[in-house]
Amino acid sequence: MISHRLTASALAICVSATALTAHHFYGPYPVTLKGYSGDKTNSVSYGGQIARQTMEQSLKKLASTGNGGGNAADVEAQMMQYFSGPTKDLAILSPVSKDGFKIKQTTIGELSSSANLEGKFYKGLMPAWPGNHTGVDVMKDMISRAAKSNKGFDAENGYDYAQLISKFTMGAVQYSQAVDNYLDEKMTADVKPNDAPYKEGKHYTGKEHSWDEGFGYFGAPAHTLAMTPAAAYDIAKRKDMASADKNGDGVVDLKSEMVFGPAYYAAAFDKSGNTSYLASIMQAYIDGRKVISGAKGEKLSTTELAVIKGHAAIIEENWEKVLAEAVFKYAGSVYKDIASMKEKGVDDKSYRKYVKHWGELAGFSMAIQSGRKNLGAAAVEMNKLIGFGPVTADNSYVTGVDGNGDFVRDRKMTWSDYQLNMLKIQKLAADTFGLKARANDMLGELAKMSASADADTNAETD
Amino acid sequence: MEDLIQTLTTFELYFETYLTSLSADFLNHKKRIFVGYLAISAVMALVFLCAWRGLGVRGAVDKVFDKKIFWSRSAKADYFIYAINRIISILISPYLIAQGAVTTFMFFQLSKQNVIGFLSLDDWPSILIITLYTLTYFFMDDLSKYFVHRCMHRWQFLWAFHKVHHSAETMTPITVYRVHPVESIIYGLRGSIVIGAVIGIFAYCFGIDNFSLATLLGVNLFSFIFNIAGANLRHSHIEIAYWPWLEKIFISPAQHQLHHSIENKHFNKNYGAMLAIWDWLFGSLHFSETGKSIRFGLRPNEASATNIISIYLKPFIEISNIAKYFYTSLVKLLKLNFLR
Repeated sequence: MISHRLTASALAICVSATALTAHHFYGPYPVTLKGYSGDKTNSVSYGGQIARQTMEQSLKKLASTGNGGGNAADVEAQMMQYFSGPTKDLAILSPVSKDGFKIKQTTIGELSSSANLEGKFYKGLMPAWPGNHTGVDVMKDMISRAAKSNKGFDAENGYDYAQLISKFTMGAVQYSQAVDNYLDEKMTADVKPNDAPYKEGKHYTGKEHSWDEGFGYFGAPAHTLAMTPAAAYDIAKRKDMASADKNGDGVVDLKSEMVFGPAYYAAAFDKSGNTSYLASIMQAYIDGRKVISGAKGEKLSTTELAVIKGHAAIIEENWEKVLAEAVFKYAGSVYKDIASMKEKGVDDKSYRKYVKHWGELAGFSMAIQSGRKNLGAAAVEMNKLIGFGPVTADNSYVTGVDGNGDFVRDRKMTWSDYQLNMLKIQKLAADTFGLKARANDMLGELAKMSASADADTNAETD
Repeated sequence: MEDLIQTLTTFELYFETYLTSLSADFLNHKKRIFVGYLAISAVMALVFLCAWRGLGVRGAVDKVFDKKIFWSRSAKADYFIYAINRIISILISPYLIAQGAVTTFMFFQLSKQNVIGFLSLDDWPSILIITLYTLTYFFMDDLSKYFVHRCMHRWQFLWAFHKVHHSAETMTPITVYRVHPVESIIYGLRGSIVIGAVIGIFAYCFGIDNFSLATLLGVNLFSFIFNIAGANLRHSHIEIAYWPWLEKIFISPAQHQLHHSIENKHFNKNYGAMLAIWDWLFGSLHFSETGKSIRFGLRPNEASATNIISIYLKPFIEISNIAKYFYTSLVKLLKLNFLR
């Protein structure tokens, strides 16, 4: 009797585990395209997006390879190839295998044969960088300057190009393409319909592939919901092979098992325990994809499109918050770096760290301005507070470029005033986006200071 | 069913919080009724009665722990109000303005002016910043308490609530909590605004984590001194008075007891919490009158000392009457001036 019960219980657990597993994975999803007669059984495909994730990470690596001018032409040419292509034969420079973390793919061609970053780069105005350029031109300018710099570091003007390039790209390609293209225009009734292949000869429908591409830009593994934010974070750092290698084949497949930039930052903030950006975004992607699969190759109804738009809105809202959390966090880092430099004096190491954090702050600020929404006054204010460059060692900061394209630093600001700007940025980000993780929360320190004051006796009367 | 479980769990949580909060004040050395401060006050009272009033130890003990006072109907009402107010406090505290919000507001308001720069004084010696902060905190806290208390007595609609505190006919240390919840909210707001603003100003000038209160055993230095100096005797029948010169600086227990007197000549005197200088400066100081027996409380037509329903609800009836009176007066005034 007892053994029967145990068997029944075990079976129930197995069944529910299977149901849970299937429910929590992004794919595989069946081929629903009407009239398809090929042998493909899985309609999921987002190799091009994963290829771009590796291009962004590889560009970050390359941005630190300049030797101060001597190899500038070579470095720039190489970076431009990773940016504009052709990328098919290029090696993936990051992420690469290391002891205890073997990666399946080594070339970009194994992920996609024709993807590049330039074609998908944000082409709107990017006023956060001097020169009044479009987003894509800002990136080309950064690439050119990175190539001329010493290991991506421009001490004089306070730039860390590896950080600027990587963080800006995360917004100007991944975020922008997902929320302003694949989950936006391509989720309208007449664009990429579900009753036709995405492109002639493809085995997936227009809507299936558009949604998949949107997912690929987020850079999360298909089994994200089966792991903790800490595990996702460690996968991106190449420290947790066990959590990454879902199919147990001994290698991490970048296409479905790796964590890239946007998902990594979502996980990083979720580790605080105050947010669930990663899970919310992932669940919305899965739920949206299930609606599309459920249409079985028919045109999506108005109701189905509305439901999908709802999931897309969840993705956009949470993703935007992740970028805003990053702005908030790095404004706090810059604040702390300045406090430390004021206390202990400015040395190479502390200044380098400060410039790195500023690069992350400015990069994420540009990233969040590359989305679908016009952030209006909030963006103007953020750009004003961050400036074109950080306050440098002699208190001057970049105010623009001259006719030759060289940076001009004709104004000065005290460290304290710039620290105040950082606090204003934290307040602006928190108020505008309703943040919860709030890493390096200097405003929180202010509130804590207040709470620790002897408020207990405030209500005592006489 | 799930809803029911959720409701029960929430209720259980509230109940647990409530039971803890009932005893917490007696065990929290930041609170006036901390057992340690009560014990010190009792010892002070005994020493005073033996050394200054010439009572024997037995007589002094009987007077300090007088059952007729601690178990009077008025004192029992104090205990009941204390227990009810804890419940109300748990329910409304999440909705009150946070001191941190005032601090942040003040901080960013200051950042809009160009006279004093952010962190412009952060190179001052730490001891100077702590001293300045502790003193500013103390003076602003005490001054604002004085003004709010003064308003409580002089503005009719606030007096309607503050009467609850003054309706006590016998006083024990628990009488400090015999307060209408509306008054508690007003005092809480006062603290949030004044202390929040002080911290905002200091954080702006000296740095967010560059200052702290001078403390003793983790308690604000001045609160600690106030409490070990027998603050609990303010609400008691032990008339410890100071020398007149000292009663111009610090409010003695006897001066505060006089503030609770039923006699007309004592009305609206000695509003001060710790310092008497505010009363002295603004003309409300009254020296203690030792040797005269003071009757505490209010006349029966003003407020009930023991009827709990009346204690909680009468203030609202009174303010609605005041509002009605103002409304009819205003209408009359308008008619006289514009509709003739």
